[in-house]
Parts: sequence; C-alpha cells; structure tokens
Amino acid sequence: MPMYKVKPVSPADIKIDVPSCMYKSPNVHAHGMNCGEHALQNGEVDPSLKALEERQDEVLRRLYELKATVDGFAKTVTTPDADLDASTPSPGPAESVFKGTADLDSLLGKDLGALRDIVINANPARPPLSLLVLHALLCQRYQVLSSVHVHSSVSAVPPPLLSCLGPRHIDSYARQRFQLGFTLIWKDVSELQMKFSTQSMCPIEGEANVARFLFRLLGAEPQDPVAATQMDCWIDKAVFQLSEGGSKDRAAVLRSLNAALGRSPWLLGQEFSLADIVCACFVLRAGQTTSAPVNVQRWLKSCQNLGHFDCVYPFLQ
Amino acid sequence: MTKDNVQGAGEEEQQAQSKKALKKQQKEAEKAAKKAEKQAKLAAEQQEADEDDFAKDRYGICPMVQSQQKLDRALVRVQDLTPEKAEQQIWVRARIHTSRAKGKQCFLVLRHQQFTVQALLAVGDRASKQMVKFAANLTKESIIDVEAVVKKVEQKIESCSQQDVELHVERIFVISQSEARLPLQLEDAVRPEGEGDEEGRATVNQDTRLDNRVIDLRTTTSQAIFRLQSGVCQLFRDTLINKGFVEIQTPKIISAASEGGANVFTVSYFKTSAYLAQSPQLYKQMCICADFDKVFCVGPVFRAEDSNTHRHLTEFVGLDIEMAFNYHYHEVIDSITDTMVQIFKGLRDRFQTEIQMVNKQYPSEPFKFLEPTLRLEYKEAVAMLKAAGVEMGDEEDLSTPNEKLLGRLVKDKYDTDFYVLDKYPLAVRPFYTMPDPNNPKYSNSYDMFMRGEEILSGAQRVHDAQLLTERAMHHGIDLEKIKAYIDSFRYGAPPHAGGGIGLERVTMLYLGLHNVRQTSMFPRDPKRLTP
Repeated sequence: MPMYKVKPVSPADIKIDVPSCMYKSPNVHAHGMNCGEHALQNGEVDPSLKALEERQDEVLRRLYELKATVDGFAKTVTTPDADLDASTPSPGPAESVFKGTADLDSLLGKDLGALRDIVINANPARPPLSLLVLHALLCQRYQVLSSVHVHSSVSAVPPPLLSCLGPRHIDSYARQRFQLGFTLIWKDVSELQMKFSTQSMCPIEGEANVARFLFRLLGAEPQDPVAATQMDCWIDKAVFQLSEGGSKDRAAVLRSLNAALGRSPWLLGQEFSLADIVCACFVLRAGQTTSAPVNVQRWLKSCQNLGHFDCVYPFLQ
Repeated sequence: MTKDNVQGAGEEEQQAQSKKALKKQQKEAEKAAKKAEKQAKLAAEQQEADEDDFAKDRYGICPMVQSQQKLDRALVRVQDLTPEKAEQQIWVRARIHTSRAKGKQCFLVLRHQQFTVQALLAVGDRASKQMVKFAANLTKESIIDVEAVVKKVEQKIESCSQQDVELHVERIFVISQSEARLPLQLEDAVRPEGEGDEEGRATVNQDTRLDNRVIDLRTTTSQAIFRLQSGVCQLFRDTLINKGFVEIQTPKIISAASEGGANVFTVSYFKTSAYLAQSPQLYKQMCICADFDKVFCVGPVFRAEDSNTHRHLTEFVGLDIEMAFNYHYHEVIDSITDTMVQIFKGLRDRFQTEIQMVNKQYPSEPFKFLEPTLRLEYKEAVAMLKAAGVEMGDEEDLSTPNEKLLGRLVKDKYDTDFYVLDKYPLAVRPFYTMPDPNNPKYSNSYDMFMRGEEILSGAQRVHDAQLLTERAMHHGIDLEKIKAYIDSFRYGAPPHAGGGIGLERVTMLYLGLHNVRQTSMFPRDPKRLTP
C-alpha cells in the first residue's frame, strides 16, 4: 500500500537570496530525501556523536573500575592477607582464607558409607562463638550438613540460637550426599562437649579444645612448631585469662594483645590463624570493645571485614 | 497267779478306779471352775460394755447406702487436707490403709487414691474404750466416713502424703466393709523388688497382681501409671487436632486380613466368618482417598501372635496417623515426630508427680529427647553397628538385640532416647511400601524407637493401583482378597504416608518399665483372658 504522502507545503525549488557570510547547509526540503538517509550521508556529525557517546561510556566504565579497585585496595590495606575479589563492588561472602588440604579419612576414620557426624553439646547460656566461625569456614571447604537440636534438659531456647548455623540446606533430606555432619545440641551441660565416634574416641571437652580439633579439619595448622606453640599459648590465654579470669587478668591480656598486634597484622604474624579466631571471639564476648586499645580495635575490624565473623554478631549484646 | 495277787489286783483296781474317778472329778471341777471364770469375765465385760458407752452413737456400721436419704454434707478429699484447714471440723471419706491400736489410742492411716493422712482416735471425753476397740478392729480397705478436727503437727509425718496435718477423730462410720483376708497386701504390692529381697519382706508377683487387678490398681504406683497413660492419649489428641487432623473411627470386624493371614483372630459372623482388625491401615488410607487429608484414630488392635514376651499383647490400644503430603514423605515424618515431642514435653511438664511416684517403685532414668527429632538413615545405623563389631548384611533387617545395641550407641553419641531410622531396605517391608526412587533396594519407610525398642513402623504408601498390584504379586499375595483395597486407589489418590503407635508400649518405655502388662489395665495375652 503506498504510504500517505503529505502534499508539499511549499514548492521544492525556491530561489532564496542568502547572505554569503552565513554557513551554507543543504536544502532539507529538497525532493526525494528523508531525514534518516540525510543523516547518514552527512557523516561527520553522527559518527562523531556516536564516537563521543562511546568515549563517554568508555570513560565512565574505566572510572567505575578504578573506583572499585581503590575500594579493594583500601580494604586490603586494613586487612592484610585477605583474598577479596576486588572487582565485585558489594562485599560478598569471603573466599576461603585457608589454602591447605586435610585428609578427612585419616583424621576422622575410614568412610563406612555413612555420614560422619560431629556432635557438639553446648549450654545455651554460653554460645560457643569460635565454633560458629569455624563452622562457617568448614562449610566453605566441605559439604556440611548442619543441624541444631534442643535437648529435653532445656525447656526453651531463644530463636537466634536455633538458626545460628544458617538456613537449612535444601538437600538436607538426603544425608548421604554430605561429607561431614555438624550437629549442635543445646543442652544443660556444665562444660561444652564434642562427640564423634563413641567407640574409638573419648568426648572432647572445652570450647578451645573442640576449636583445635575442628581447625585441624581445615588443614591449616601451622607446620612450624614455634608458631604452633604460640598459637596454643594465645588460645590458652584467651580461655584462662580472658573468660575465666578477673578484670585485672582481662586488662593484662588486652595489653599483650595490643603489643603483639602493634608488630604484625595478625597474632601469629602475617597469617590469619585459629589464635585470631579464638581470641577475637573471646574479646567480643567479654564486651566493652569500644574501650579496648587501638591495635585491638583495628584487629577486630579486620576480622569483621573478613566476613567469617558475621554469624557471631547477633549473639553480642 | 495266787488268790492273794488277784485279790491285790482287784484291790488295786478298785484303788485305781477310785484314783481315776478322783482324777476325773478333779478335772471336771477344774473345767467347771474355768468355765465359771470365763462366764464371770464375759459378764463383767458385758457390764463394762453396757456401762459407760457414752459414745455409742458416734461410731458403728452404717446400713448399706441404698440412697435412703440425701445428706447435705460436704466430704473433703484427703489431698485437700492441708494446714490451711487447721482447727476445722470436717467429714472425710477414705479407705483404711492401716490401723494400729496402742493402749488407749488407735492410729489409723486413711487413704484416697495416692494420698494418705494419719488419723488419731484416743479414749477421752469424745471417745469411749469401746469406740477405740471398734476402730482398731476395722478391716483394711474398708471404706469409712470420718468426722474429725484437722490439727497441725510440729514434726512432719514422713510416712503419709499429707505430712503437715493429722485428724483427731470424733465420729467414725463404716460405709462398706472389706473382707478380712485380702489376696494381696498393698504395702507389698508397692515395695520395690530389691528392697523386698533384702529385708526378707514379701513382694507380689505379676500373676497374683493380674488375677486380683482390682486391688492391685489401688496402689499409688498403678494410679500414677494410668493417670499418665490417660495424659498420653489426651496429648496425642490435642496435638493432632491443633495440627488440623480429623479423628475417625474404623471398623474392627473386617472381611480380609490386612497385614498377613497368620496373626488374625476369626469370629463367627452369622453364616460366615469374619476377622478382628489387626490395624486400621486399610481404612485410614481409604479416608485419605476420600479427601480427609489428615486423619488419626484411637482404637483397639487385635494381633493373634503367640508370643509370650515382655512387650506383646494380643489386644492393645493403637494410636494411628495417616496424612497426605505435597512432595516428600519427610513432611509426614516431621509431623509425626513433632507430635511425639509434644507428647513428651507435655508429660515432662505436667506429670512430674506421677513420674516420681512410679520411680519410687521402679527407678529409671528420665526420658531424654531432642527437638527437632534426630533422624538417621539405615546405612548410618549399619555403619555404627559394624563399627561396634556386629556382623550384618547391608539389606538385612535389624534383630531385636541389634535394635537395643543401636539404641545404646545412639544414646551414647546424641544422648537421646527417641529417634527415627529412615530408608529401610525394601525386602523387609510390607507390599504397600513405596520403593525408593533412586535405589530400588531401599524404600521410603521408617521406624521410630524409644529406649532402643521399636514403637512405630511407617512408610510412604503406594498410591498407584498398578504399582500396588505389581508389588502384591511380587509378595505372592492373593489379589482377590485385597481387591477392595486396590480399587480405592483407582479414582485419584493423593500421595500419603503414616504410622501407628501402641499406647501401652509408649507408656511403658517412657516410664522405663519392663513389662507391657504393667501399663495395660486388664491385659490380654495368649495365656490370659480374665479379668
């Protein structure tokens, strides 16, 4: 169907007397041309507009990238050794800090075709914060089936404690698909207790000792005996002086933490380790972090930036 | 023999005779004297009795209560006798638990259900010697009405349940007298086994108890057990009604055996015969196909198993659940385990008195459980048993000793007496069990255990008529006999699953008792049909 044609408003060729000092532009109303073709024929303006647009896009993109890189560097400066993905603008879950490997069969016994379930009995009045951090780290390395139960010796437990291990895994109905089980039972016990294979292992008692066992599963134990001893020393300080000691002991530990952290970013030097996890959790639980010494506060901020400690904050007053 | 001798003998005889006669006379005289003495004594007593019985109208045996009159008298229950009622004069109806006379006083212990109180009757201006004597001679277990003043005591009476008060009796009447010789003594029936052997005192053995169930049920332990059992039933109903279940009643006289032909009772039904239902299985499922979605039923179950074990009865009360689910049968497991946990919590919170009372005679560990309930898979159980040294095949059923050992292993590791074992091998389950979608050797079936003993067997049911027919043929079942059952799935049936528990067994295992007859009021087993 022929398109509707508008009758020419004015005749096509009119001679106009134009002053010569003005630029000459072609006659828009010349017969047989439409605007689009005309624009294409007139190459200089449109390609350059396009090029301009492209340049603008390019510049903006590079600006965003630069900004993200600077943000990443800023975080890296304050948290050394962290392996953050610098191109993602929003802080997602941190990648695993520990690169070592662990042989589950040698640590936990031969796999008999059934889920290897670690059972931890804890008192709801004293939630084991360092174990929650270690659980998050384990979940990054292995397929872990986590479950939380309330024992009949306890009548009620506040809801945050029921969801402390995160949301239930979609595949939790098929227990065999998981490499490791992590079962946390809130029970009226005087001392935190871990059971794994009741026939061949005696129960492990105490939050620090269970933390040492779980850390071994990550394969990140310091190989150097000096470093290992220092790590144990810091953990013992946290357990005996920070949580069980009086206010004088606590102050002394905070001072020694401050001194050590003045020399290096983490307690054992350049590497993040179990000592940092346990000490940070105990310091956070003791409270009054705003009045802690400068290096300690900086160190706590670094721990928070790593992202593994997110599960702990709901339990601090 | 000479004449002299004969004569002498004769004389002797005569002498002997007279001696004998003398002796006889003496004896008779003695007897008469004794008789006279006795008569004199009786007469004296009679006199005593007739004289001075100023309290004649304050005691006695009431005529049988035939509703002759309507007395406007409030009777206080023994359990309400507390120091708040001190100095009040009240009427109490109770049984005589014990009565002991000591000179001019008579100590009675009155009992009503689990509660006992001490009552004192002393010769004084309110009570005569004859009245005290009458009270002391009352037989145990008689029901009496007593009017008394409640008095506070400084020293607690340890042997009674109402330890802070005692009754000073003013009037005492017998409502229903008991025979003097009881077939079993209540103190013996309540005595723990070990104590009886140690101190040489009697305990009552189970058969005697069951033969005289009426008296055995009066003991504090039995009262506590059956009140707790009533609590179990009530909590079961309440929890399920709150979850939106509907209670149904299924027929017990049925035309075909549901579980298997061997263990079923036959009854004569007019010109043919019928069977007593072994479980409400078929009818629960038909209700689901009839769109009731979530049903439960409480009713008797009849199993003609000739097993004389500590945990089998021929008739018991079955609490059965059946539920349609959306996508996975674990929705049903979660519902059932939540119901059980609510029952355990309700018993733990509201029936502590009863639990303590039972523990006095039958000490046991308190029942422990986890919320949400622990669910292990059959493969894990086999691995745990193998690690403990048991040799068994991967698809073998668990024998009773293995179940008990598994219960102990789970208790060691998780500290729970209640757990679910999921994904049993298909070969050991009934024909209507749905096979596992990923592994044809296993099935979507589960068992629940309390203290290492099985209490519930359940599964996802086959809801497709064709698959059901195949499975039935595979098991060699006569299709004609189950035609009605298969037909119910031909007109659209939702996927469903369920299970059933035995009320007596659950009560027994919760309290840690060792024989299911202790938790069945009038038990039925291959050897017992009465009472």
